[in-house]
Amino acid sequence: MQHARNEPVIEAEGLEKYYGTVHAVRGVSFTIPAGTCVGLLGPNGAGKTTTMRMIMGLSRPSAGRLRLFGAAPGALGRDLRSRIGLVPQEDNLDPDLSVRQNLEVYGRYFGIPAAEISERVPKLLEFMQLAERAEARVMQLSGGMKRRLIIARALIADPELVILDEPTTGLDPQARVLIWRRLLDLKRQGKTLLLTTHYMDEAQRLCDRIIIIDGGRVLDEGTPQDLIGRHVRGHVFEVMKPLPPGFDDDGIEREDIGDAVLYYTTDPTELRRRLPDEATYMHRTANLEDVFLRLTGRSLREGS
Amino acid sequence: MRAAIIPALTRYTYAVWHRHTLVWRRLIWSSLTSNVIDPLIFLFAFGYGLGAIVDRIGGMDYLTFVVPGLMAHAIMFTASFEATISAYARFHLQRTWDAILATPVTLTELMSGEMLWAATKGMISTTCVLTVGWLWGGVPDPAGALLALPVLALGGICFASCALAATAHAKTWEFFAYFFTFWVTPMFVFSGVFFEVTRFPGFVQALAWFLPMTHLIAVVRPLTVGIPLDTWAALVHIAYLAALAAAAFALARRRFGRRMFD
Ligand SMILES: Nc1ncnc2c1ncn2[C@@H]1O[C@H](COP(=O)(O)OP(=O)(O)O)[C@@H](O)[C@H]1O
Ligand SMILES: [Mg+2]
Repeated sequence: MQHARNEPVIEAEGLEKYYGTVHAVRGVSFTIPAGTCVGLLGPNGAGKTTTMRMIMGLSRPSAGRLRLFGAAPGALGRDLRSRIGLVPQEDNLDPDLSVRQNLEVYGRYFGIPAAEISERVPKLLEFMQLAERAEARVMQLSGGMKRRLIIARALIADPELVILDEPTTGLDPQARVLIWRRLLDLKRQGKTLLLTTHYMDEAQRLCDRIIIIDGGRVLDEGTPQDLIGRHVRGHVFEVMKPLPPGFDDDGIEREDIGDAVLYYTTDPTELRRRLPDEATYMHRTANLEDVFLRLTGRSLREGS
Repeated sequence: MRAAIIPALTRYTYAVWHRHTLVWRRLIWSSLTSNVIDPLIFLFAFGYGLGAIVDRIGGMDYLTFVVPGLMAHAIMFTASFEATISAYARFHLQRTWDAILATPVTLTELMSGEMLWAATKGMISTTCVLTVGWLWGGVPDPAGALLALPVLALGGICFASCALAATAHAKTWEFFAYFFTFWVTPMFVFSGVFFEVTRFPGFVQALAWFLPMTHLIAVVRPLTVGIPLDTWAALVHIAYLAALAAAAFALARRRFGRRMFD
């Protein structure tokens, strides 16, 4: 039943979504092979959540095609749904139930037999380090515990594909690290992961491939290393303004960010040689954050 | 094994219904207070208070008259409340519906679970009213009353479906003030709970027959009192409840489908 490795689990082709007149997603195409972890990165309002909801069948695409597990495109049937676990961006745990009941009841929604549910729930509580809070009400949980419970809930049917919409937003570093470890465990088990995050270190650490979207369009995709090489070379020099006179920056890729200029290069020695002594600058290896800001711009977005 | 026998629709609807029973059991005392004690207070106030003033009505003593009315009222109010205020909280505030729709449960199954639960909760209230009314001597025909229960259940399904149709159109909590004022209250006063519909002027009677409550009481009262009930008239009343339930549920399904997925 497990999807063969490298077979596409999700194939999206020209996905579009209108909310009334708002064109939230404007032709998004991508393929996600089985067993990989793919990060969907983009600023607020880029269309990440909408894209994930369309994949889950929670939102009807206005146009485009979506194939899951190689099945014929179209409405998501019951059998396909049961192979996907969703960690939504907003907390929608059942506040009227205890931690344990949240998992048990969710298992029933998947049609899992009661005996199997009672076998899985303690294991999942253990896995997400919630065993001591099994009888607590959802309201009594910290933000990190709630997130862990939502992840545990998404795993109740042992899904092949797990979709996580900002699983670590707003958590403290300890809580994030725990979630990262668990996501890496899931990867090791061969599950396919699609996740969004605003933390570039998280994406770089977890994701095999990155898709950067903004304004409802895919800007680029590739491995983190691909993207860094393609867009920000590998090294960044942030040179403060005013630029020193006599600085020969011909032929070096640059981006003006107001009070400084960023130079991107593959050869830091060469650039350092060109910089006059009086230049104030900072040198570091380029990372995904540089790629992200370069591609999506530096202006603030809605809700930021 | 059981999965093969019970159709999938039933199984997933049952999962939603079962979730509600868990919450109900957890909050059993407050649930019982509002859904059982409330109608009992009515029964006491009207059976005892009004019964002392009103000697006989429609050829029976007042308690006998009012017990079936209050049974119908119990299920009408409970089912209407559950499928509006409570369902809207789960749909809108708690996003419980969103969570459920990310599983194999379909919207139709989710709504069926909500609807059947609202009817179930109504039946719990109704059964309590019946029990107390019977102990009090307000149910001359207990066998007939048992026969009335499935009709009341159909009434509950109808009230819950109509309430869901309202919830599907609600954008704010304030919306439900209209629902209660223009739907629940008229069924409380015009449908024959406390006195016969025929006491009203003709146009009010005509309006009253649009309300499902009037049809429900027209069947339930003869059964609990033990007076003859015209079979054809009863079938028409029952058909009206069933048709309205189906239409309201279909309307709710369409509207929720747009709200959830578009
Ligand atoms: N239910 C909705 N109704 C109307 N507009 C919406 C709705 N959901 C999202 N949008 C709009 O669609 C765009 C994309 O939103 P979203 O997918 O949530 O982005 P992201 O998850 O990347 O922050 C935004 O402009 C947002 O305001
Ligand atoms: Mg989002």
